[in-house]
Amino acid sequence: MKQKIYRHPIVVRLTHWASALALFVLAMSGMQIFNAHPALYASDASNFQSPVLSIRGSAEMDAPEGWVQLGSHRLYTTHVLGYGPDGQGGETVRAFPSWATIPAYQDLADGRRWHLFFAWVFVICALAYAKWAFDLRPSLADLRALPAALKAHLLPWRVKPRAHLNPMQKLTYFGVVFIVAPIIILSGLALGPSVDSWAPWLPALFGGRQFARIWHFGAMIAFMTFFVIHIAMVVLTGFWNNLRSMITGWFVVERDETAAAKEPS
Amino acid sequence: MKRMHRAGFLALVGTSALAGCAGIATNLTENESFHRVLELPERLDLALLGGGQPLAREYPESAISRKFRQNGFEPPSSPDYIAWSRKAWHGYRLFVTGLVDSPKSYDLDTLRRSFPRIAQVTRHDCVEGWSVIGKWTGALLRDVLADCSPRSQARYVVFHCMDEDGAGEAYYESLDMRQAAHPQAVLAYELNDKPIPIENGAPIRLKVPTQLGYKSAKYVQRIEVVAGLGGMLGNGGYWEDQGYEWFAGI
Repeated sequence: MKQKIYRHPIVVRLTHWASALALFVLAMSGMQIFNAHPALYASDASNFQSPVLSIRGSAEMDAPEGWVQLGSHRLYTTHVLGYGPDGQGGETVRAFPSWATIPAYQDLADGRRWHLFFAWVFVICALAYAKWAFDLRPSLADLRALPAALKAHLLPWRVKPRAHLNPMQKLTYFGVVFIVAPIIILSGLALGPSVDSWAPWLPALFGGRQFARIWHFGAMIAFMTFFVIHIAMVVLTGFWNNLRSMITGWFVVERDETAAAKEPS
Repeated sequence: MKRMHRAGFLALVGTSALAGCAGIATNLTENESFHRVLELPERLDLALLGGGQPLAREYPESAISRKFRQNGFEPPSSPDYIAWSRKAWHGYRLFVTGLVDSPKSYDLDTLRRSFPRIAQVTRHDCVEGWSVIGKWTGALLRDVLADCSPRSQARYVVFHCMDEDGAGEAYYESLDMRQAAHPQAVLAYELNDKPIPIENGAPIRLKVPTQLGYKSAKYVQRIEVVAGLGGMLGNGGYWEDQGYEWFAGI
């Protein structure tokens, strides 16, 4: 039996789209900022000789190369990472290519302007959404139902729309909202020298100022991974129904007959 | 084969969509009114972080970086500068001018002898993203300013420097009076217990550990106390004139 329910209140819908936009701009302007010094260090100050990760390139005339260096491992990524499009029709040595950065060409000052503006958009979304975020805390029943839900999601197109979030959704959203988002906000704040003078515990929490950059970068990767899976699930579990519910709030669910039978009539 | 095509197609769609976003954002960046909106958070950040005088963390000497990374312009190339650098800075003087009751100039010996020596082992965070730790020793900026008696209209302190970019544009920086009075804002004459090396800003470098590295102006020659920025002083600094934040606290 199908039924239309009002699933997402206006604040949830607005903060969903605003923070989605903000995350995209933050990731792209963040890659612009990263390009200014494309190396990460697992320490407080930079050990320039031993970055944990760096994205480098060389512009040798006949054989330009770009690569990602992870410790002593080198992964060649020529034409995408390390050496790639410069945003002006050519190619150059730069960590992230022009199609992934804001602005497209190399411009640290404007990359920072975009980043520090949309960081506020993201934080304001987080504050506005806080009241609803607590609906995501998983109950004991959710945890018990998790193995079954996990199995069901192996065939996502068979997952039936329900009025309430299923345990998989709940745990994933819980992780994004209560783990990844706080890490990305706090590790970002830890990069500001003035913030650090107010809260010296903040960079210490992440293992030092440069280490906080690793957390910030890693949380971005986690967000991007979530984004890809999220889009796949939205498409596979009833694209229009899912999309409409996040635009108008209305969601068509199949009533769970067995559950309905248990409810007092 | 079909699978490969599909993966390639998805990658193409994905990168094209990103490139489209990057293109739109790039055009918006070049729009003046939009850019003014992008600049708004700087004021909010300054309002939230700019009050009070919290101290940057001070490190043990064991944390000092092996080499204090050099960045920025080439060292000054004027005949005066080169001559001073060869004579242990004899002849160099630091001037304090503008809205002060007693404009003065100091040679290095006077700066060393007349003001208490302040040493700090602090972290230097470059706007590019890297950090180094160094020990800076010098006179407190506020002590030097007090010696010249700033007038009541004084709002900003401008640092005129001897280094220039490739086009001959001189480096400069500025702080407001509160930032200038910070107990760690130092006119340094030593880095890691030695006279400051030329590439790190000899003979005098301003060190402001609570903001990004570009605020810590090298090769300071003249300190000018003013009532406001703008006009000849642009946005209050060389990098600020290139679009970077005047308040470089984040």
